[in-house]
Amino acid sequence: MTLVYGLLSGILFGIFLQKAQVLRYDKQVGAMRFLDMTIFKFMLSAIIVAAIGIYALKDLGLIHLSVKGTSIGAQLLGGSLFGVGWGLLGYCPGTAVGALGEGRLDAVWGIFGMLAGAALYAESYSFMKAKVIVLGNYGKITLPQILGLNHWLIIAVFALIVLAAFAFFEKKNL
Amino acid sequence: MNKKTWNPYLAGAATGVLIILSVWISGKFFGTSTTFARLAAWVEEILGLNTATNAYFTAKGGKYGAGVLPDWQLLFVGGIFIGALISSRFSGDFKFQAVPDMWQKQFGSNPLKRGLAAFFGGIIALFGARLAGG
Repeated sequence: MTLVYGLLSGILFGIFLQKAQVLRYDKQVGAMRFLDMTIFKFMLSAIIVAAIGIYALKDLGLIHLSVKGTSIGAQLLGGSLFGVGWGLLGYCPGTAVGALGEGRLDAVWGIFGMLAGAALYAESYSFMKAKVIVLGNYGKITLPQILGLNHWLIIAVFALIVLAAFAFFEKKNL
Repeated sequence: MNKKTWNPYLAGAATGVLIILSVWISGKFFGTSTTFARLAAWVEEILGLNTATNAYFTAKGGKYGAGVLPDWQLLFVGGIFIGALISSRFSGDFKFQAVPDMWQKQFGSNPLKRGLAAFFGGIIALFGARLAGG
């Protein structure tokens, strides 16, 4: 049943991504060049709605959060590399697969590159674990925890910042 | 539903609802890059390489290795392909294209040049994503 849920949520997500034109190279690189903020509108809307729903479910005791560890070294280096690679490829891992579904054949090159990148990371994992992941490794922490504030306050502030960004995008026709 | 394109705020909010339902019903948060690691291990096995000695593919009970497949996320990734294919076919947006418009304007229409950039970009992007944790 888990597999069926995976397939169904993937199909729906693929439809939403396609309908919002998020799967396109021109939109992804357009956002990096501050020409077209479509993908940020999509992504940030999803994050706000999901954050509210998931924290509500957590408060009701219906789910457990699955927090990833914070390592400043791994996330600074990994995030920067991801940015460079994303700029060259023009798709993130999920949207590369979706772009191929739309007929964008350049995504095939990217998918093979990403498989090679995963294999390369697996080879360098012992080194990264010993030298990079240990730098600023704080474990599974969240903003509400380290700031000692209620999570709804953090979500409200984050939502206000995002709404201000949306207003800016609309004003500038981005 | 029939409109060719949807407002990105609404499509994004619908995705947010989908994430909530997924976490609630199946306990799964959205992600795709781990599947590239598992598939890389799977391809290595096919090529005759032994992934059982690799520190990454065997880390955390083998959750990054090929032994997990097929799992929720593999089907999720496959679903994205199917959903995009169905949606673009119905919207009339489906188009075989080897070089995106914006790339052509800057760097010309050579598909090999575009392909190599996409390939090396893919290597760097997934290496970074795995290092950063997803």
